[in-house]
Amino acid sequence: MPPAEKTITKVLLAKMGLDGHDNGITIVAKWLRDAGFEVVYAGLYNTPARVISAARQEDVDLIGLSFLGGEHFYYSEKLVQNLKEEGMENVKLILGGVIPPEDVDPLKQMGITAVFTPGTMRQTIIDSFQTLAK
Amino acid sequence: MSQDEKIYQRYLEGERPPNYRTLSGVELKEFYTAEDAPREESPPGEYPYTRGIHREMYRKRFWTRRQQSGFGTPQESNARLLYLLEQGQTGLNVDTDMGSKLGLDPDHELARGDVGLQGTSVTTYEDMEELFRDIPLDKVSTTLIVQPPYSAVITAMYLLMARKQGIPESSLIGTIMNCPITQLAGPAFQAATHFFPIEQAVKIGLDTMEYCVRNMPKWNIVNINAYNIRETGVNAFQEGAFALSLGADYVQRLLDRGLAIDDFAPRIAFFTAAHLDFFEEIAKIRAMRRIWARIMKERFGAQNERSCWFRTAIQTAALPLTAQQPLNNIVRATVQTLAAALAGTQSIHTTSYDEAFSLPTEESHKLSIRTQQIIAYETNVVKTADPLGGSHFVEWLTDRAEEEILKIMDTIQNKGGFIRCFLDGWVEEQIRDARHKYAREMEDGERLSVGVNTFREEDEEVKIKIFRTSSDMQQQRIEYIERYKKERDQGPVERVLEQLYQKAEGDKEANLFAPIMEAVEAGATMGEISDALRRAENFEIPV
Repeated sequence: MPPAEKTITKVLLAKMGLDGHDNGITIVAKWLRDAGFEVVYAGLYNTPARVISAARQEDVDLIGLSFLGGEHFYYSEKLVQNLKEEGMENVKLILGGVIPPEDVDPLKQMGITAVFTPGTMRQTIIDSFQTLAK
Repeated sequence: MSQDEKIYQRYLEGERPPNYRTLSGVELKEFYTAEDAPREESPPGEYPYTRGIHREMYRKRFWTRRQQSGFGTPQESNARLLYLLEQGQTGLNVDTDMGSKLGLDPDHELARGDVGLQGTSVTTYEDMEELFRDIPLDKVSTTLIVQPPYSAVITAMYLLMARKQGIPESSLIGTIMNCPITQLAGPAFQAATHFFPIEQAVKIGLDTMEYCVRNMPKWNIVNINAYNIRETGVNAFQEGAFALSLGADYVQRLLDRGLAIDDFAPRIAFFTAAHLDFFEEIAKIRAMRRIWARIMKERFGAQNERSCWFRTAIQTAALPLTAQQPLNNIVRATVQTLAAALAGTQSIHTTSYDEAFSLPTEESHKLSIRTQQIIAYETNVVKTADPLGGSHFVEWLTDRAEEEILKIMDTIQNKGGFIRCFLDGWVEEQIRDARHKYAREMEDGERLSVGVNTFREEDEEVKIKIFRTSSDMQQQRIEYIERYKKERDQGPVERVLEQLYQKAEGDKEANLFAPIMEAVEAGATMGEISDALRRAENFEIPV
């Protein structure tokens, strides 16, 4: 018998640190829910430790983080490192928000799987989450 | 269809808007005539001030050029403020970083990664002095973008600095934003409640207003941030209704404290958005002036005409600015700035074209100022008040805006006022629905954005200069505050913090502004004062 397939993909979305801009992430949460994902939204003001413990608890393979204040390097570095320390390298990190285009490559080198900058259309995001969930 | 066919198709079919509604959903007809707007409006400078609060308007004084600014260390921000003044900016608008806005010192675990990013880091009295070095406090009007309870701390720092320079409080000109409900990226409930109990924040905001009313006649005691509400995606009428309803709540609470309406009403101001729907935004501001004047006179019995003036700062909305083809944003912001000027605003912040990437560079900041200067000095739109007054369409749309705003205000009043609606989660529901609608309209092409959902260039390479904070700035600030706490005289600080705690805990009616000021004077930091106030409310930041 083939292993049971997860029919619904669960993703964790979170805002890190003190950035309160949550327009984008709440819209993405709705888009993903409407596309059939199970979305756990951890809200504002998370620490890396809190996000990682939520990811473990909810058993997710994808974490979406939104940054609009320029804090993307600070938190990406910490999250990538903490995931490694916890033996959770399989968990993929996806970023969205006000992120300068020239920062995208360095973020990917750091271990971020995908980065969505402002103006990304719904289908692009959904397609990417679906591909990454496989 | 090939690219060529597409090009010719556009001409042959005729380019048309996707619908005939305003951005906020008002259906428009082919044209408007005198029958649509039969009423003659009072002249500018006369009640209910639909056409503006001054008869001469910009003939006598241009709007204030007031670009928001703040990043990095207070020293770095000071340099930028001086630069802006040199470029012809006529007022300051200082933004603090998230830690300072939430009562957390730079060494707090949750604050470290955000130090100096969305504003400048101001956590001690010394920081305030650095921030305003070489800036004459009685000659430049300054807006301080902080909400309660932290606004009390920032106001106290500002006052102490003036006192030390020998400038009387009564000659300080400027504004403390001072609204705990609208400040944090629109009224996101979690943002307004996570670090401090919201009802106590409102109370300390009122304490600060009361102190300012009694001691600082030229100071604006609150600036209701309708702009941040609008940026969540709500429409122009919701923006207007939410802000005016909240304004009325503050008025009622100040009256309940025994203050007289005409003593404080002239010091209440607003901060609104200019979105892209040119005429609708102008109509919204005209309608807000009319509604506010009537509320103040008819509901609250104001006698002084200044009490009836709806005074507003306008920022050109950032929400419609795009990361795609960023130079297009210069054109958008110019149109928005013109709308703000034609609406008769008191000051303008023109949002920079690099908004979708970072805080403004010196260059983009300067361009924002130049945009305003070109409109003010070259186009002649300043030479007569309310130049659009009497236009059949504008007057009709103003009436429609008034009607729509009043409808929402009635709903809010029936639910117990805006603060009640916010606490009950109703406001957040409205915002959630509006955000989803906005996103859906962008996806459906009902709302068009050049470069994003039409005329998009795939594989576009953006080549603009992007602002960066200095690389060791966060570490510098963290080391500074650690050193500061170690080197100061600890005894008096502990004493005043304990006194503040006792006062706040023991006497729930007491005005806390004076004890907060004493704590600042003794050298307590933003985070420490906030912690004393949290402790008095038995409040712990959730982790």
